[in-house]
Amino acid sequence: MSPALAADQAGYDEVPSLAREAAVGSLGLLVLGLVAYGATLGFHLGNLHNALLAVSFAGVGLYVLRARPGHLVGQLFVGLGVASALMYFGRQAGLHTPALPGAAWLAWMSIWLVPLVMAAAGVAVMVFPTGRHLSRRWRAASHAMVVLATLVALASALWPIEDDWRSSDLVFPFDLGGEDAARAIAWPMMLSCYTGFQALWVAAVVTRLRRAGSDEARQLRWFVFAVAVSVLLLLVGQIVWGTALLGLLTLPLVPLAAGVAIVRYRLYDIDPVINKTLVGGAMVLLIFVGYVGVVVGLGALLPVSDRVLALAATAAVAVVFEPVRRRAQALADRLVYGRRATPYQTLSRLSAQLASDDEGLLEGLAATIAGGVGASAVVIWLGDAERMEAVAAWPASPPEGARSLAELAELGSQRELVRPVWHDGIVQGALVLTKAPAEPLTPGEDQLLGDLVAQTGLVIDHRARLDQVARQAAELQGAARRIVTAEDSARRRIERNLHDGAQQRLVSLGMQLGALVERVAATGDPDLLREAEHARRQLLAATSELRELARGVHPTVLTEDGLETALANLVDQSPVLVRLHADLDRRPPPEVEATAYFLVSEALTNAARHAHASVVDVDVSLDDDRLTIEVSDDGTGGAALQPGGGLQGLADRLSVLGARLEIVSPPHGGGTIVKTVLACG
Amino acid sequence: MILADDAVLLREGLARILTDSGFEVIGQAGDAPSLVDLVKRDAPDLAVIDLRMPPGFTSEGIDAAAEIRALAPTVGLMLLSQHVEVHHALRLMTDFDGAVGYLLKDRVSDLTAFAADLRRVAGGDVVLDSELVTRLVARRRHEDPLDRLTPRERQVLALMAQGLTNAGLCAELHVSAKTVEGHVRSIFTKLDLDTDERSHRRVLAVLRFLRA
Repeated sequence: MSPALAADQAGYDEVPSLAREAAVGSLGLLVLGLVAYGATLGFHLGNLHNALLAVSFAGVGLYVLRARPGHLVGQLFVGLGVASALMYFGRQAGLHTPALPGAAWLAWMSIWLVPLVMAAAGVAVMVFPTGRHLSRRWRAASHAMVVLATLVALASALWPIEDDWRSSDLVFPFDLGGEDAARAIAWPMMLSCYTGFQALWVAAVVTRLRRAGSDEARQLRWFVFAVAVSVLLLLVGQIVWGTALLGLLTLPLVPLAAGVAIVRYRLYDIDPVINKTLVGGAMVLLIFVGYVGVVVGLGALLPVSDRVLALAATAAVAVVFEPVRRRAQALADRLVYGRRATPYQTLSRLSAQLASDDEGLLEGLAATIAGGVGASAVVIWLGDAERMEAVAAWPASPPEGARSLAELAELGSQRELVRPVWHDGIVQGALVLTKAPAEPLTPGEDQLLGDLVAQTGLVIDHRARLDQVARQAAELQGAARRIVTAEDSARRRIERNLHDGAQQRLVSLGMQLGALVERVAATGDPDLLREAEHARRQLLAATSELRELARGVHPTVLTEDGLETALANLVDQSPVLVRLHADLDRRPPPEVEATAYFLVSEALTNAARHAHASVVDVDVSLDDDRLTIEVSDDGTGGAALQPGGGLQGLADRLSVLGARLEIVSPPHGGGTIVKTVLACG
Repeated sequence: MILADDAVLLREGLARILTDSGFEVIGQAGDAPSLVDLVKRDAPDLAVIDLRMPPGFTSEGIDAAAEIRALAPTVGLMLLSQHVEVHHALRLMTDFDGAVGYLLKDRVSDLTAFAADLRRVAGGDVVLDSELVTRLVARRRHEDPLDRLTPRERQVLALMAQGLTNAGLCAELHVSAKTVEGHVRSIFTKLDLDTDERSHRRVLAVLRFLRA
């Protein structure tokens, strides 16, 4: 692990310097001192939140600054903490009886600081959690907020316009006059500022949430969760008990959550907390509503005693509790973790994937497993117990390198679940799932995972079989290609043997016979001469036939001079008119050349002999390593593959080379098109 | 003359009957390099060369002939092969300035005709195998221009393609020189060919026309 990463995980960028430790310590002591001294001056419920905010903001801010020096949110929190401490102390002093020296001025300070504290809190919210504004516009808005707050603070310092001056026992320390006029102008401005600031914060947080990447979103979720809880309790407190105290007391949750989010968000996952809060809150609501509904609602309708009603309410709540909890849990899961597939969906998705047989089968399987049991990552390993390799993973790519099953099992002690995959009684691989630590597998998920592991075994086996089939097909293809190549070289050999053997002998024989004919002519016996001459002609006919045969077995011109020349020679000998269009800038492999030659030869023969065509077009072109051959005639058509036929032989030969013979030949005229495309790679 | 063929039996037989016909065989070779060596040592009037020889058994004969033509331009070159190909014939007519022949090996069975062909080549004329020419003349063409020729003119055209000169045509067709000249002029006009006095040029023009 790199030092930077280690520091990051521990929450520190570096070991804090002595000066920083000293500054943090003295600021902490200042806040604590002010709060502690203030606390000795009496207990005022309306001022308690300032103490709580001072301690929590200063504490969290200093903690953040210690870990992330210069972090703007940390600085603002410390500022807020110190300001809150000053406000607490000032208000405590102002409310003290008998009056303390300078108490009026201290109270005065505690009141005009309010807008500044609000602005500082607003900036902190707007730059949370990165310490930077979302954009220049947001920064401009934040600056405007600070300027407005300063103006309001100035007005509040000069005239007693804040509500606190009217409702409490505090006394404004001086009188500049024009108090009513100032209040008439500044009061609406103050109100609209406060409302506007709050709207601005909410807008900033919402915007940031929508744009945030995963880490930032997790940090924001901490913060939003704390704010939501705080606001909810504030509302509940106001409605149920008619006091904001509950909400104020929970306010420290906000800086605490913010601090954790900035420094420790990687270590604690907020999601399960939110999840459980949602479920718990829903259940509290159920009990409350159920109880009140039964007791108040039924009580008004039916003349029964309160005890009976209470029993009935309890029974009703007990009956609906579990089903509602399950629903609430499912809903919370969906809200927090996104949509999770039901076991049925998971298994049917799996069988659809198995049927598709494509390349990404194992990746798809990993994703399906993750969706089925709510894992944040799934890795599929293949191999035996001694050596496995990661072959597929979701959502990232599989890790490199081989591991044994035992090594994988060690991962199980951390956040991963490791399940070996068995098939036919042998370990064939393993599944490694990453799950949030606070969220173990439910029995249902456990069972589903068992099923999925079994399915994975089938998939692995299936894949192995597919591999085997593919291998065998490749071997067969290779063998067929070798057979074709061997056939070609056999043809070449036969032609060569004919050339050097039988043809040579026949030529010699012809020469002798020719000499014999000359001698017979010299004797002047006409009968003998006729017979000798006949024999010579027979021999020449035989030689000619043998020559054609040799050419049919293998045309030497093809090996020697290439496809274009060989095709031109074919055309020279064709009894029908042939228009040849061949344009090859290089020579294809020998087996491709031979196949093309035999294809054209067969098509020309068929066009002349069977289709009685008057003209044949031969087009041969080589583009991008693909040789396209098309022979079309204007004959009677009706050409088809027949067992043992020339076209069938060609089709077989082509399929060995991975090509297909296309024949378009309607049986009642319209000509014949024979076409193929051969790879020359 | 010199003989070059890798088949010893055939070569020896050929040497014997050619000697009988009045030729003097001054050397025999089994492959292209030794043929060229023989020619270097003692240039003959004529070399009879198998087109397909060791080591590659493709068209070494033509390459050797080209080498001989560069070394000793006066040597007549007769190439023999088991089968005749148009593209070889075109090359011989294009690259060799006359005194070249290209015949099927079968032709040795008619010794009189073969000897005559050899003498023509030695004398600077060109000779092409009749089978090759027959094949080209028989070839089907779109709106065949050969249809414009009379049967007699077609016969003359085929003989011209085989390399016969006007004198040769007279002898072959048993007609007067004037008649032959009339036929040749008529053919060239009808087929829109350029006339050229040199025989191999004339053959080349006719071959190209037939192949087109």
